Amino acid sequence: MALNGDDEDFEWEPPTEAEMKVIQARRERQDKISKLMGDYLLKGYKMLGECCDVCGTILLQDRQQKNYCVSCQELDSDIDKDNPALNAQAALSQVRERQLAAQSPAPSQAPELNGGPSSSQPSVSVPQPRPEHCEGAAAGGRGLLPPPAVPSPSAAPSTAALAPARPAVSPQSPALRPVLQEAEEAVLTKLRWATTQLQGSASLEASIQLCSLITSCANSLRSLKELSQ
Amino acid sequence: MLPLEHLHLKHVLQTVGVLEAVILRSFGPEGGQVLFTRDTGQAMLSRSGTRILRALHLEHPLARMVVECVWKHSTVTGDGSKTFILLLASLLRMIHTTASKEPHVSHSYNSLEAAEATTARHLADKLLAFALKELDDLIAMEVAPYGCSVSWEDFTAKTQSAAHTNNHYVQKLLASFFHTRLGYVHCDFVSELTCELLNRWKFTNGLPSFALQFLNDNFPALHTPVSGFPISSSRLIEGQVIHRDFATPCPQTDHQPIKAVVVTEDLQPKLLHTGDVLEVGFGVTEERSIVHFSAWTERSLECVIANLKSLGVSVVLSAVKQSAAVLALATQAEMCFVECVSEDELSVFAQLSGARPTSDCWRIEPEHIATLTFCRPILLGAHRYVHMTFYDSEERVMAKPCSLIICGPGEGQTDQYACAIRDAILMLLTTWEPMRASTTTASKRTLQSPKCTSSFTDNLTDSTKYPSFNLHPLHKCVLQPGCMIPAGGTFEFLLNHALQQHRRSCSDSNDANIGVPVSQLLANALLSVPQQIYSHSPRRFLHTRTRVMSFVSNRFDLVYKQEHKASHMQSEGPLEDGIVSLHCCKKDDMPSKVIMLDLGLESVSCKYQLLLAVLQCVKSLLRLDTVLHTQTALHKQSQRLVGTSWESTEDEAEE
Repeated sequence: MALNGDDEDFEWEPPTEAEMKVIQARRERQDKISKLMGDYLLKGYKMLGECCDVCGTILLQDRQQKNYCVSCQELDSDIDKDNPALNAQAALSQVRERQLAAQSPAPSQAPELNGGPSSSQPSVSVPQPRPEHCEGAAAGGRGLLPPPAVPSPSAAPSTAALAPARPAVSPQSPALRPVLQEAEEAVLTKLRWATTQLQGSASLEASIQLCSLITSCANSLRSLKELSQ
Repeated sequence: MLPLEHLHLKHVLQTVGVLEAVILRSFGPEGGQVLFTRDTGQAMLSRSGTRILRALHLEHPLARMVVECVWKHSTVTGDGSKTFILLLASLLRMIHTTASKEPHVSHSYNSLEAAEATTARHLADKLLAFALKELDDLIAMEVAPYGCSVSWEDFTAKTQSAAHTNNHYVQKLLASFFHTRLGYVHCDFVSELTCELLNRWKFTNGLPSFALQFLNDNFPALHTPVSGFPISSSRLIEGQVIHRDFATPCPQTDHQPIKAVVVTEDLQPKLLHTGDVLEVGFGVTEERSIVHFSAWTERSLECVIANLKSLGVSVVLSAVKQSAAVLALATQAEMCFVECVSEDELSVFAQLSGARPTSDCWRIEPEHIATLTFCRPILLGAHRYVHMTFYDSEERVMAKPCSLIICGPGEGQTDQYACAIRDAILMLLTTWEPMRASTTTASKRTLQSPKCTSSFTDNLTDSTKYPSFNLHPLHKCVLQPGCMIPAGGTFEFLLNHALQQHRRSCSDSNDANIGVPVSQLLANALLSVPQQIYSHSPRRFLHTRTRVMSFVSNRFDLVYKQEHKASHMQSEGPLEDGIVSLHCCKKDDMPSKVIMLDLGLESVSCKYQLLLAVLQCVKSLLRLDTVLHTQTALHKQSQRLVGTSWESTEDEAEE
């Protein structure tokens, strides 16, 4: 589209506050990209003459002839952070916006967002859903609304000692108790097995690994006990 | 149709930004070193921007172009490659900011990017034109007076009293250079060593550039790297060291002088070539065989050796490998042979001794014979070399040649020291190179000097007291060779101040609107260098800047007092080239410079060359429009750049 200079003059106006922030963020991102690329060059990567199709950054190539784009594969994407399906913060801000929109017509509909665990207790104040909930939800790739306590028991039996997200409201629904008990039993069984193995173990490495298994089982038990309180 | 890629300003910015990020951590006196390792285990330590950039794997044509510019610049000045990249990056950013604010609206463009690119190109052209026209004046008038000018004669003079302070300045200059290149631990030692080396190499015609040029051209032949020893074992030895061992045992000769000859061909004449047919014992009554033939050739060889012996020659330096027969006969005749001497060492030998190499062993004239005081093996590290000194004679050109032995703990470090000393010599060569003032620029200066010094008169209380040494029409602002200024960003602060004053004084001229920000642009870009030097401590940046600016404001008082005292001397007639005024400033600035010597010294002409080189690189970078991807038989994909005009590529695709 040819722009005729006579008709439409490029009148430069100073950028607004929001635009300044965007420009500043973009500049910082470019600086970060340059710094990362410089580090990779010093590590022996090759700077190619091509640009990435997605973002336009110069591509690097490592010793194994594999192409690598610094901004796509390493830095957080510029636009992905606004996508609620992929980012917890974006999801959170979307929820808040909805709340603000919903608050004036029907304040009673707001507590529904908290889901199952709070149904047993009448909550006067609307506790804001904490980001950990949303991260737990987003990491599983699920939607926003399922009750946040459900992912926690499934995480507990794993030996990775991940402290599950504590729900904002304390009382547990009765449906959860058997699940927790099952989890506790499974962990205890594993603990017993590990103890017997440790007593009979002769190798140093195996003993060390068994001890770490016992530690993680104990941590899981502790978290489960905290959950059931 | 070959695949095309359009280059935008942001590609240029990104490429240069990446190169800047690479060298940023090694920049400045507190910068770090980069250790490069190969898969073979070979290591290279470096702080030199050129070496770091050339060691990177770069296939992007823009990046390769920038590295090529940096390399070419450092082969001339020896220093300033990291500053080059810093200035380049900051200039490009400023141009980009300015271009996106005011794109050219007088033409129609396809997009905003094209308009920006054109504006950027115009800005770059104007910057370069401004620099070529006015920068050396500004530097000579506004920056150089705050430095000191050291002449080569003073530096190499035998008398200690006058030369002492000048020696001290040159040593300070070298020490600050080595500080950025080798670190603060060894910089003083290496700078003393280099000063001693320069003092010993004096040619009879006395031109500084000749001695420095000779040292630079023949540096590989004049230094010996020895690894495995600490740097403090480095020293100078008299004479020349040939980096080869004796091929025949060297007898201890007491009588002096020793005569030596340089031969470039095999002494044993090559009578038979491949494809020749030798007819032996044909048509003659006596029985002859090949044995007789080889005996005959050996006898001719004996005559050659006897000829050499009769001339008194006892050392033969050969450029090629001699045959075993020659060596055997030489051992019998007690002559020393050194084989496979490299070309540059032979040329240095020829220049220092005055003897020409010969290729015909039958015709040895007196001009082919060199006289040596001694010639014996020397053990340096793990190698045995030949060490010789030349006999003193009047017709020789050199007073006392010497060779440098550079020691280092490992090969990488020794190589680093050797390269640093070589770059220091290049830097000194640039410092003492006289600035070329053409006649057109001189006449322009005479017209412009009243205009440019108008800012001077504005600040003067009593302009009549100033006997027009600034306003005199014949006053020529010429940058003195050997001009040095305190390091640590002083040059950039002073030039920044000068450019801003220039902009104010020329703001009422009829330049196009875009002409005014050109000097402002350059002034702002210059500040990025000291900002980076003091990046770890912004307080020191402000502190240094205040100090420098205080000297600028106090200068008029200093000059005024001096002028007042000697006003009767200067009120009449023109001054000779304004040198007296510069010397006045120098004497008065002594106490202030003593305070600022803690920052070290740097050379003004190196900085000026650097600025010009950066502006030329900016101009050529912004002229690039398109990248054509070509394919050659060797590489799977290679690229070539074209300028704004379409050119046919030389290597067509050979698919």
